[in-house]
This record gives sequence, structure tokens and C-alpha cells, in this order.
Amino acid sequence: MRILHSWLEDYGKVPIPPEELGERLGMLGLETEHVERLGERYRGFVVGKVLEVARHPRADRLSVTRVDVGGETLQIVCGAPNVAAGQLVPVGTAGAVVPRSGHDPDGAPFTLTRTAIRGVESHGMICSEAELDLGKDADGIMVLQGTPKPGTPLAEVLGLDDTAYDLEITPNRPDWMSHIGVAREIAVLTGRHPRLPRVRLRESRTPAARVLRVAVQDRKNCNRFAARVVRGVRMGPSPEWMQNRLRNAGLRPRNAVVDVTNYVMLECGHPLHAFDLALLRGGRIVVRAARGGTVFTTLDGKQRPLPEGAVMVCDAEREVSIAGVMGGANSEISDTTTDVVLESAHWNPGSIRRTARALGLSTDASQRFERGADPGMVRWALDRAAALVAEFCGGELLKGAVDVVAARPKPASVAVRPSRVNGLLATALTTAEMRRMLGLLGIRAAGGGKDRLVCRIPSHRVDLQREVDLIEEVARVYGYDRIGETAGAQVTFSHPYESPSDLPRVREAMVGLGCREAVTNSMVEPARAALPGVEPVSVLNPQNRELSALRTSLVPGLLEVAARNINHGSPDLRIFEVGRVFRRDSPGRANPIQGYREEERLSALLTGFTSPRQWGVERRRFDLFDLKGLLEGLAARIGLDKTSAFSYSPMRGLSGATLAVDFLGASIGQLGSVSDETLKSFGIDQPVFVFDVNLAALAVRKEIAYRPLPRYPAVSRDVAFVLDASTPASAVEAAIRKWGGELLRSVDLFDLYEGERLPPGKKSLAFALTLRADDRTLTEAEIEAEVGRVVRGVEGETGGVLRGG
Amino acid sequence: MLPRIDELRREAETALAACRDRTSLDELKVRYLARKGAVAALFEQLKSVPDADKPAAGKALNDLRRTLQELAARKEAELGGAGASTPVLDLTLPGRQTPRGGIHPLTRTLQEIVRIFTRMGFAVADGPEIEDDWHNFGALNFPPDHPARDMQDTFFIADDVLLRTHTSPVQIRVMENSRPPIRAIMPGKVYRNEAVSARSLVMFHQVEGLVVDRNVTFADLKGTLVGFIREFYGSGLKYKFRPTFFPFTEPSADIYITCFICGGKGCRMCKQGGWLEILGCGMVDPNVFRSVGYDPEKVTGYAFGMGIERIAGLKYGIDDLRLLYENDVRFLDQF
Repeated sequence: MRILHSWLEDYGKVPIPPEELGERLGMLGLETEHVERLGERYRGFVVGKVLEVARHPRADRLSVTRVDVGGETLQIVCGAPNVAAGQLVPVGTAGAVVPRSGHDPDGAPFTLTRTAIRGVESHGMICSEAELDLGKDADGIMVLQGTPKPGTPLAEVLGLDDTAYDLEITPNRPDWMSHIGVAREIAVLTGRHPRLPRVRLRESRTPAARVLRVAVQDRKNCNRFAARVVRGVRMGPSPEWMQNRLRNAGLRPRNAVVDVTNYVMLECGHPLHAFDLALLRGGRIVVRAARGGTVFTTLDGKQRPLPEGAVMVCDAEREVSIAGVMGGANSEISDTTTDVVLESAHWNPGSIRRTARALGLSTDASQRFERGADPGMVRWALDRAAALVAEFCGGELLKGAVDVVAARPKPASVAVRPSRVNGLLATALTTAEMRRMLGLLGIRAAGGGKDRLVCRIPSHRVDLQREVDLIEEVARVYGYDRIGETAGAQVTFSHPYESPSDLPRVREAMVGLGCREAVTNSMVEPARAALPGVEPVSVLNPQNRELSALRTSLVPGLLEVAARNINHGSPDLRIFEVGRVFRRDSPGRANPIQGYREEERLSALLTGFTSPRQWGVERRRFDLFDLKGLLEGLAARIGLDKTSAFSYSPMRGLSGATLAVDFLGASIGQLGSVSDETLKSFGIDQPVFVFDVNLAALAVRKEIAYRPLPRYPAVSRDVAFVLDASTPASAVEAAIRKWGGELLRSVDLFDLYEGERLPPGKKSLAFALTLRADDRTLTEAEIEAEVGRVVRGVEGETGGVLRGG
Repeated sequence: MLPRIDELRREAETALAACRDRTSLDELKVRYLARKGAVAALFEQLKSVPDADKPAAGKALNDLRRTLQELAARKEAELGGAGASTPVLDLTLPGRQTPRGGIHPLTRTLQEIVRIFTRMGFAVADGPEIEDDWHNFGALNFPPDHPARDMQDTFFIADDVLLRTHTSPVQIRVMENSRPPIRAIMPGKVYRNEAVSARSLVMFHQVEGLVVDRNVTFADLKGTLVGFIREFYGSGLKYKFRPTFFPFTEPSADIYITCFICGGKGCRMCKQGGWLEILGCGMVDPNVFRSVGYDPEKVTGYAFGMGIERIAGLKYGIDDLRLLYENDVRFLDQF
């Protein structure tokens, strides 16, 4: 919302400098985004009178002029063909910044200096419309109309000697969407209430009701419909002062009638509409709901299908305006209009909002009506507009208004308990102080018994309906910054809420394992959310197709991150993400979101080399077993024992090399290398390994119980078996554990050999067995017996042979 | 035995003192100190020394060996790297790198905020990202057909199902599932259907806070949040509470702090204003209490919320928030 300082002063002096006013309104909750001194860009530009024009001695196309700029005469070299003595022209003096350069391809501004052009001194510049950014005409200098005195600042001539405030209006304060509304707020600072101008109507004897009849059928959505008629107007532009104000406030002037309706709206906040009476068939207005399927052409020339139930202003035969949103092309004011109908109505805010939303159309009128226009302003706005139209366009203002009141607003009053005000704000205000503060807002508060103030709410404050609304008003006027700060408040420990997962610990563990955390968007391309057996959740109104599904897995996001980094020269990656995935579930009856599942997951991705190039280290690339180790390492870091916790089984999944991951007997995810096909779709051409597991399942908090350290030494024995290449290592390990007794404490595979020293189709696996007893040092004989039993057991179960044994 | 030890000592000391190059040093080490060298030979002979003399002889022999080893080592150091036969450790070689992990800057910021509030006695709560209209809007005092809904452009999943536009619905879930007193913060992802730019994303993170108890006042809200601001941004900053509008709180406020980039003089980050908006807050609206079955006459409370991307952006000077979601390791490595 753009508010002009000069306009505010129509309703009373504003003795506060603009920047300070902006700041102080902000502290009342009316945020000033920007204070703009409108004439600023024309500083250094003045009205000049061309006294004489002579040929430039050394250039045919240039003239040397002498220009009176008020108290001083400047010699200016000018290139325009239309310059002539006696003209009043805009002159830029040294130091002024010309808004658009005619020579620069981008029209960049430039600063004027005293200079010499082909040997003749020039002390300024006579500017074209284009150079001043006031229009397109670049062919010659701009010649000013009227009789401004030489030396007058150009900004003044252009009506730009004003300051504009760009205000951010919160949706609860429609009353701020007008100059009088902002002026009322300023009264809090100055203590002086603004006054709307008095309207003087010169009506004829003919009653308006004789030429116009109004019927309100949709009384639910139309609270009031008032209209006046001005006959025999002469159409033309509105006065220059009004055009300047509209332009400075951000609206384009059109014609006197339309300008008046806009002006009155900006003045008092009440939107108006004007019809050409000649185009209203039957001299009738009927307010009713739209019929489904109707297409209506609004005055911006667009054809719009009317939403069912939209409130329409109609004549005897057809729709002529979408109530409170936008008028129709079929009844618009034009240059040939002679009889004008002015409409001032009050609409149901919800209805206007539904219609505007359905149409995708937000107008100055709809924004005000949907937030809640002042029901007390209907007649004043109508009378003010009628008086101005009659003043500017002449004509006959018919007697009275046709005014149909469907619902008369009740004067609102709200009871406030001063004890509640002080209780909530932690203040110690007296009732008198509260009354004074509310009074600054135009709220009359009277004592109504013990601890009770009855507040009469002015009609423009549609937001004040409850006690707490008035408590906020007291707080605003008193000043939030004057309310105390209770250090620490009182600490009341509430029940801890069950967090779905032990996120910080998992993240820290992954970081400790050398992984970088990534955070990617939950919204993905539908193709990336396609997983067999999973129904993804789609967004009904996505920004674009790329972001129209919710992710069903974190893996595609990590692959995108990998692709991006590989392309940017970082091909060696260990990354992870913790986040939610989504899918549809069988719809629940209990509540709407039961049909959707959210699950917290952890995914990790390894690709490239395990370490950077450096001396003394042989580099190798990541493989699947690094990934397995990472997952098990994570488990160890969060206090879980990998051997008892995890089990794997081959599955169809990411690629041929995929393992299903079971954790404590439950399936929690998968782990594997990404298929070539998938990699290709992400533009990756190096092997990538990922795991993806359910985090909630991993987040079992295990209480740590200390075990005493062994008192007797452990011994280690290495055994290697030659086996068929197809024998899984896990089977051998299982056999070792099976045949090992309670002395066998751990089994670690430390070597795999396949090669020329073995027969084809064979491999060798070497294990380190750790043996220990709790109550004695093991004897050589015990060790031999233990190892021997294990070897025989393994040989028997796997068909392997002890190697080199 | 002892005389022979003395003799060997004199001979070896003289030889080592005279030694001028590595080759001869190596020869001397072999002659005297190797496994089959002269000292070892004397140790061998120790077996035949009478038991009574053994301790003294053994001690002398050990002394000799230590002395010669030290002399040889000193000589070796003296000769430095001149010789080619023994590799020399170049201590200027770079250290070997270990894999470098790191937490995402958003998580880092979030964790710091959560840490401060948990120290103040706040519990952490969580809720779904796919929400229903009631929890996201209705219960939070957004009437249907109210323009306040335009403040938050919504992604819809179904008629009354949507991606939560703020973490405030978790307030409702917390209140539905427990009784006062409540003191909780609620971090999480939220979604807004807005054009993506350097300053605005379709998905971002918020932290919401809620306190409900008897006699909670606006001064409690101010005290708690000022405490947070001092802890997070430093105690020297100026701040101000400015009235604003949220449907679910009244009175409502935005909190501003002096721009820590320019110190309040005005810069790009603060849009020349010298102030940065960092937090929205207010006293819980009675209608919100009513929608969860609390009696607003018996309890009062305050709520607050802040955007993590914005705070991280300000804290680390990130001028394009999209960088946070690109996960370029050259970016991530800086945190």
C-alpha cells in the first residue's frame, strides 16, 4: 500500500519527519518498507525559459542557447531540432543525474557536469521526456505546459514534491488500506484525530430512484447496496492534482469518473464502482448469485467463467459486474458516457474471497472487501464520489441515493477486564491509562462495574471483536518495548516428548565415520519417486513437474548430489542424509492424514577413491564391503554389536549386487551397488554404492553394562581353508562359530586368495581365531584341541581343506 | 674378564672417535655391536666366568654395550644424511589425511538453537510433514476463506491434506496429547508454494516453540526470547519487539536485532534498514486454546517460530540460500 505524505496532511498536520514517521508506525505494527521522496531523482532539475537560440559555430546540428533558470542565465548547447526561444523547458543543472542516457544502450543514468561541446561551453542540459524517464519521446526536448516560473523545481511542476510510504499491511487491518486509516493510526502518535472532509452535495429535484431501481436477492452476501446517479456529465480527464496523486500512489489515471472512484477508495478505503446508466438495461440493478457456466467479460477485456455462487451485480437482463472484484466491459464508463451510476456496497468478506480465489483475480477492491471494509463508510464514500464527479464533470446529481440495506451492522462493544490486561502483559496500568490509550485509537471505553471496561468499537475496526484484541491494542499503544522481561521465566519441566529417532547421535556417528551430511529437497520428479510396490504421494498444485512428488527414498537425492559433485570435480564422496520419505497407505477413517506414511530414514553413498592421492598410501576405490563396514561401524558407534544385530541376504534391488539388511530380525533396508542403468539416468559413469535403512529401527537405545576386563591372556591362531569358490564366507564363519566352544571369542576373516597357487575353481579363506578362558591361561594342548575341533568341523561341513596344515 | 672389557672399550672408543664417514661407521657397528660382533662374543664368554664374578662382569658388559651404542648413535647423527646407505626420515613430508566428515550447516544451526532451548528446560517434539487442514490452519485460528491463509501459499496433497506450511501444527499436536504445563520446541521441515529465489525456497526448516502454563505473561515471552537471542547472537546486540499479526497469537510481535553484518549502519543483508527480522512470536490466541480443549481463562502461553535457512544464511553470510540444498562438497567443507 502506497501512502502519500501530502495526502495524509489533508486530514490534519503530521508534524513528524517522514523517516521518523515510518519508524514509529513500524513500532505500532504498520510496517514501512520504504520511504521515498518522490522528487529526489529530479533534484537539480528546474524550469528554464529559453531566451535565445543561436547556431553553434562549428556544428550544424547543434544550437547554443541562453536559458533563464530563475535568477541566473545559463549557456547550454542543445542538439534538439525543436528548441525555440520562449519555450519553458526542463533543465538539468551541473550535478543533476539524468535518469536515462539517450546514448547509452541500456539507458544508464549519468551525472551532468559543466563541459565544452565542440569548443563552446555548456552549463547544463535541456532534456527530452525519454531522458527524464517521463515518456517515450526522445526526438526533441520536452516543452512544459502552463506557466511555471523559471527556477521552479521540476519535481514541483510534475507534482512530485511529495513523500511516499510503501506500507506492508497485515491481513487483520483492512482499515490501513486508505489514507484516512493511516491518518487514524498517526493519531496515536500525535493525539490529534483526523477529520474526513465535509461533503457538500448539490442535488437536483429528480430522485435517483426514478431512473434506477435496485433489488438485492442475495441478502446473505450483500449487506448493503447504495447507488447515486449523475446525469449529463461531460467526460474528460480529472484535474491534474488528482491525476498526480493517483500516479504517485501507483494508479494510472483514466478519466474523471473512474479516477474519482479510485481516489475515494484510496482516501477512505471503500471501493466504489461506476456504471454507464445507458448500458444498464431496464434501468435496474439486481444483486444475485452467478449461474453456473456463465462466461463474463471483465473490464480488463478478459473472458472469465463465473464460479458458482459468485455474487453478481446484474441489470434487468445480464451480469454487469462481479461484485466487489471487478466490473464488466458491457457497462463500463467510456468517453461517450453521459449518465453515471455510482455504486457503493458492502459485501460478505468470505464470499468475495472465494470468488476472487476461484477467478485467480486479486484487485484493489477485492483485497479490501475480503479483509473487511468499513460498513460505516458506505454512504460517505458514495456521497464524496458523487460530489466530486459533479464537480469535475458537471451534470445533474439526482436527489438521494437508492440504498438497500439488507443487514445493518450492530455497533460493536467489547468488555475488557483491566486485571486481565495487566495479567497478560505483566503491566501495572490503571484503568484511566487504558482508557486514554484506547481513546487514541478512537475507542471509547467506559467503566462498566468492577474490573470491567466497556469499549465501543469504531466501525472501521472490524478486527476488534474480543477482549484479547483490545489487550493487543493497549500493548501496541503502550509500546512492546516498555513491557518488562522476566528473566528465565519460571522453569517448569514438562514431560519429554518421544522423539521418533535418535537423530543427533546417528548424525554424529556418521560424521565420525568420515561422511558429509547432505540435505536435499523432499519434493522430487515423479520418475524419481517410482519404487516397485510403493505408491508415492503427489502434490496437487506443484510449482513444476520436477517437484510434484514426495520422495519415497533418499537414494535419488544422494545420487543427484553425487552427480553434481562429480561434475564439479569432486568424484570421491562419502555422503549421507537423514530425512523422511513418504508414501500412500490405505486411507484411514479416523483422520485425513492416516492415508499417508512418513518414515525417517538414513542413506549413505560411497563412490570414487577411499582416500585422496597422497604419499605412502596405495589408493583403492570404494567397494560394497566398505559400505557394509560403514553400516556396521555406525551400529558399533551407537552401541550395537554388529554380529548379533545385522544379517544380510541377497535380493533383487539396486543392482545384481544387492543385499537386504535385517536388523535384529526385522528387515530395515538394503545395501548395494547402483545399477548401470540408474547411474546412466543420473549421468554418473563411476561405480556408486548406497545403503538405505529405516532409522527408527536402528534407534534402539541400549543401556551400557560394563563387563570386567579379562584376567587371563587371549591367544590367536590363524587357520586357512581351501574351498570351492562358490562357498560363501559367511557359511565358513558360521561353521567355525558352531564348532568352536566357549573358549572361541572372535572370528575375523583376514585374507581371501584366489589365484595360480590354487587349483581352478578354488579359493582360500584365512581366519584369525581368538581363544581365551576366563579362569586360567590356556595350555598349548587345550588350544590344539579347540582348533583341531574347529578345523574338522569346517572341513566336514564345507568340504574345505585346511591349507598348508 | 674385566680387563678385556676395558681393552675393548678403549679400542672401540678410539675407533669410533676417529671415524669420519658412514661406511666406516657401519663397519665399526658390525665389528663391535652386531650379533656376532666383539661385544656379543664377550657376552658369550660370560658363561664361563665364575659365578662370583658374573654380576660385576655382566654389569660392565652391559655398560660397554650401552656406551658404544650411544657413541655410534651420536656419530651417526653427527655424520647426518651424508651417507647413502641408511634411509633418512624427511620430517617435512605432509601428514596423511583422514576422511573428513561434516554436519550440514542447517543441521549445525538447528542443533545450536535446540541446545540453547533444551538448556532452558524445553523438551523437543515432532509431528508429521503431511498435515491436515485442521492442524495446519483451522486449529490455529485461520478461519476458512480468510486472507491470512494467503500469507502461506500451500502445497495440497488432497482436499484437506497438505504439506505443512509451518511447524505450528506441532503445537496443536503437543497440546492435544498432553496437559499443561508445556514447554517444548518443535524443529522440522516446512513447505511453501512460492517461487524459488536466492531468498526463498519451496522447502525450508523452522523451529517452533510453545510454553503453556498458569499466568504466563508477555514479559515471560520477552525474557525467554531475549535470553535466546543473547545466547545465540551475543549479548551486545540491540533488539526490538514490533507488533505484527499472526492468526494464532495475540498480541503478536516480530523481533528484530541490529544487523550484525553492518552494525546497524545499513547494508545489503538488512536491506539498508540496519535491523534484521529474526523471529515471530506472540501470546497464544484464546481460540487456539479452545480448539485443543484448554480453558483460556485458566492457562496462558506464548509461541514463537523462526526460519533456520534465514538464520544460517545470516550467521554464515550465505547470500544465496539455494546453496544450502546443492550439497556441493566445496560448500559443505566450509562448515
